[in-house]
Amino acid sequence: MSAKIAVLGLVIEEPSPAHRLTAKLRQRLSSAEFVDSNVYSALARLEREGLVRAREESSYEATEEGVRHFEQWLFASSSAPPLRDELHMKIALCQPQNLPRMIELVYGQELVCLGRVQELKKSFERIRPPDPSRWSGLVMVMVRDAELAFWESRLGWLQGVRESLENMGAGFQDASRRQREA
Amino acid sequence: MKPLLSLEGVGKSYLRGAHRVRVLKDVTLEVGAGQLVAVWGKRGVGKTTLLKIAARLERPDQGTVRFEGVDMAKLREAEHTRLMLERIGWVRRAGPKSDLRMMDYVALPRLAERGRRHAYGLAREALERVGMSECAGQHWGSLSDGERSLVSIAHGIVRAPKLLLVDDPTANLDVIEREQVTQLLRSLADDEGMAVLITVPDMPAVMRAHHIASLSGGRLSTPPQLPEEPLPEDEEEPPGKVIQLRSREQSA
Repeated sequence: MSAKIAVLGLVIEEPSPAHRLTAKLRQRLSSAEFVDSNVYSALARLEREGLVRAREESSYEATEEGVRHFEQWLFASSSAPPLRDELHMKIALCQPQNLPRMIELVYGQELVCLGRVQELKKSFERIRPPDPSRWSGLVMVMVRDAELAFWESRLGWLQGVRESLENMGAGFQDASRRQREA
Repeated sequence: MKPLLSLEGVGKSYLRGAHRVRVLKDVTLEVGAGQLVAVWGKRGVGKTTLLKIAARLERPDQGTVRFEGVDMAKLREAEHTRLMLERIGWVRRAGPKSDLRMMDYVALPRLAERGRRHAYGLAREALERVGMSECAGQHWGSLSDGERSLVSIAHGIVRAPKLLLVDDPTANLDVIEREQVTQLLRSLADDEGMAVLITVPDMPAVMRAHHIASLSGGRLSTPPQLPEEPLPEDEEEPPGKVIQLRSREQSA
C-alpha cells in the first residue's frame, strides 16, 4: 500500500498541514510503518498530479480530481496479500538435525508477534479508548482488529509448528535412547 | 511491592488418551493490585487450568502459588473456602445451577454473611457497577452472551475481592460487547485496585490489559520489553503498576 493514497484519504477527511498528517498516519495505520518523509514525498507527488493543492498556512486540501481518484481506489477490489515468508522456506528445507535451531527460530518469531501486539496495545493506550458504537471508533477498532487478526493467526501457526517440532524432537530422542539400550 | 498473586515454577500434566500432556511447564507469573493481566492462547492449551491452579481449585504437580504471600497449598479447606468467598472472585460463564433470578444469583456469595437485605444491597450495587441493573429480575436463559458475561463478573465482584480470576469473558461477543467487557475489567483494576487475571482466546481482548502473555505447549511467553518512550507533556501516566511476568525458560 502506498503512502500516497493514505495521505490523500486523510486530506479528504480534513484539510491539514503536513506535520498533522504524519501524526495521523502513524496513529491510524501504525502497522504500515510509514516514516515521516513518506508523507512529504506523497504530498509532493499528489500536488504534482493535481490531486491536492496547498492552502494558506501550509495546509493541504484535496482537489475534485483527488476525491475522484480516491473513490476509484476505495471502491475497486482489493488484491490478495502476498504470502511469502523466509521462515516458510526454512521450514520447508530444514533437516532433522536442524530441529533445535528451528525450534529456537520459531520461538523467536512468536516473541516478535507478541511484541507487535504489545506495540499496538501501547499505541492505543496513548489515545482515548475508541468507542465502537460510534462510526470513528468502530473504524479504528476494525482496522486495529485486522492487524491483530494477522498477528493472532501467525502466532497460532508458529505455536503449532513449534509444538510439532518439539514433539518430533522428543520422538527422535526416545528412538535414539531405545537404540542405545538395545 | 509484593505481588498479590504469584505462581512460581508451576507445572501440570494430564493424561489425554494414552499420552501424558504437559499443559503447564515451569510457569512463573505475578499479578499485583491494580493490574489487569491477560493470558492469550488457543482453545485447549491449559488457560482454564492456569486459572484454576491460581485459585487452588486444582493442585499443580510442581511449583508454588502464593496469594498475599501465603502458600495456597498450605491452607486448610475451611480457610480456602473463606478465601474464595471473601477475597478471590472466580468468574466463569456457566451461570447458576438452578433457575435463579440474576439478583439472587449475584447475591449468593454474600447471603451467609449478614443476612438477606445486606446481600441484596451489595448485589444491586454489583449489577449497577457492570451496567446490568435491568437484568436483576431476569433468568440466565433469557440473557445474551454479552449480558451473561457482565452478570458473571457481577457475581465475582459482589464479594469485593482483592483478586478477580476471569475465564474467557469475551467468548462469542461482538465488537461492542467485547470492548464493553474489557473496558469494565480494566476499570476494576484501575479504579477499584483489584488484581485481575483473565484468559482469552481472541487477541483483540488483550488490548485493554496492562500486561499480556501467551500460553502454548505449556510455555508462558511474554513480549520482549520495549524501551519506555516518554509520554507527551499533556498526557498523564497511564494507570497500572510495574509487573514481573515471565516464564523461566524465557528469562533463562
